[in-house]
Amino acid sequence: MDERKVKNRNTEFSAKISSRFWQEVPNDDNPYIADNYRCQGYDLTQLAEKRSFTETLYLLFRGELPNQQQNEILQKLMIAFINPGPRHPASRAAMLAGVSKAAPSQLLPISLSILSGEHLGAGSLEKNVRFFRKNVAKDPKEIIADLHLQLSNPSPSNWEPIPGFGMRFGSIDQFSKKIAELLLPLPGAGRALKWGALLSEHLQEFNLGWLPTGVTAAVLSDLGFHPKAAVGIFQLISAPGLLAHGLEMSGKPLTTMPFLEDKDYRIEE
Amino acid sequence: MKNNKTTETTFWDQCRGKIVSRKGGWIIGKGAFSHGYDINKDCVGEISYFQLMILNATGKLPEKKLADWLEAAYMGLSWPDSRLWCNQIAALGGTMRCSAAAATGAGLLSADTRLYAQRTLIEGINFITRALAAKKAGATAAEIVAQECARYKGRPYIVGYTRPIANGDERIAPLEKVAIKLGFKNGEHLTLAYQIEAALKAEYGEEMNMNGYASAFLADQGLSAEEAYRISLISTNSGITACYLNALERPPESFLPLRCSDIDYQGPPPRDVPVKES
Repeated sequence: MDERKVKNRNTEFSAKISSRFWQEVPNDDNPYIADNYRCQGYDLTQLAEKRSFTETLYLLFRGELPNQQQNEILQKLMIAFINPGPRHPASRAAMLAGVSKAAPSQLLPISLSILSGEHLGAGSLEKNVRFFRKNVAKDPKEIIADLHLQLSNPSPSNWEPIPGFGMRFGSIDQFSKKIAELLLPLPGAGRALKWGALLSEHLQEFNLGWLPTGVTAAVLSDLGFHPKAAVGIFQLISAPGLLAHGLEMSGKPLTTMPFLEDKDYRIEE
Repeated sequence: MKNNKTTETTFWDQCRGKIVSRKGGWIIGKGAFSHGYDINKDCVGEISYFQLMILNATGKLPEKKLADWLEAAYMGLSWPDSRLWCNQIAALGGTMRCSAAAATGAGLLSADTRLYAQRTLIEGINFITRALAAKKAGATAAEIVAQECARYKGRPYIVGYTRPIANGDERIAPLEKVAIKLGFKNGEHLTLAYQIEAALKAEYGEEMNMNGYASAFLADQGLSAEEAYRISLISTNSGITACYLNALERPPESFLPLRCSDIDYQGPPPRDVPVKES
């Protein structure tokens, strides 16, 4: 076997990192120190003085400040889904990490990794936003007609037959429905949310409805977030709750959380 | 409380409060088991760690020679060069004084990419499996190459047969030697991989890379694309840790420090925050 010769392709890489949204204004005396930061051209101290966190978040990803209606719906969405709750696997990951004394700095990376999943997690957001973008002009009945067979034969693994819409534990997710109803009358409610509400209505006969990842995707789609950005925004929205669950357990003894007895742990042949 | 429950939840009720595992577990006082093997009696001192890792990732205990080959292959994916993407992430963790686990975990997560490392094995095995089916249906290696390249407007983008930054791969020859030493014979996937490489080289001057070789080799051993991926999840681990340590052992924030002017700002010019609408 011959030794293989390796030739450098001399690929051209950029000499500098670039950014289209963030500028750091250097100090005259020390070029490593920034005197100021600008987000999309706006002085960050001015933003801190005059604008809210959600407005600045929107600005960061969308390039312009949101109007009042857009800010209102984003803020309400962020409150509604601030915590996936203690039963959610991502929260439980945070709790397990906390109770087993993982470093507090790791609680978020650990739980957000679990929230990256495609089942009720950030992993589904890109697909969900693209679904709204693609279908929002269609009659929701068309979607249902196309999937009629699948919708009529539900099973525990067929939990999300339509991106962002499905069932949880055999039922419509009542909280997601409630949040969608809360957001719908707002002036900032857009086409995707309204279309999703119609679809959700038609899905009721199949015992299906909004999922949290569907409501989030609809609002973020209406606000113009890129589908890939929606993935991380969903994680960001849930992060405070995950951290709180992890921290709540981190000061408690290992025995605070269940450890199943051998009789409840069955090894299948 | 009024009980008006009508929804059928038997499936979830049966799953509640218990774990059923097809993989194994620790039965306190009896032992720890993996896929029917008693880890302390059958594995410790009897098989290699890589055999156990493959067992846990695939459910099948491989021959030692496959585990030894994989261990050698890991070395080709774990170079301590801090320029490489996953390694550089860990080095940034070192310069910011993250824990070794946090920096290595971040590096490993970043290596779960479709551009390099273990995830490319999925596409690599899918390609060579598809190519072998085409060969069995009568296609030549040159025709397979032409068909694949046609998908990318005539450009030689076949996973496993072109390599970013360099053309050619110095990691293949040592692994070929390991395979011979361990008693492996070239199977039908690897034989075809060499034929594809020859066709690609003749037409485009491009050579097989480590992924092309490893994908064909692992397909010959009967591993599926997902199995190959799952046995390679931490292949970049040791190089990542080394790069983390290189930065950790130097002053904080001294790894590739940037001046403000090192960032090429391409966004909107400075502007005043507008008055909020009432």
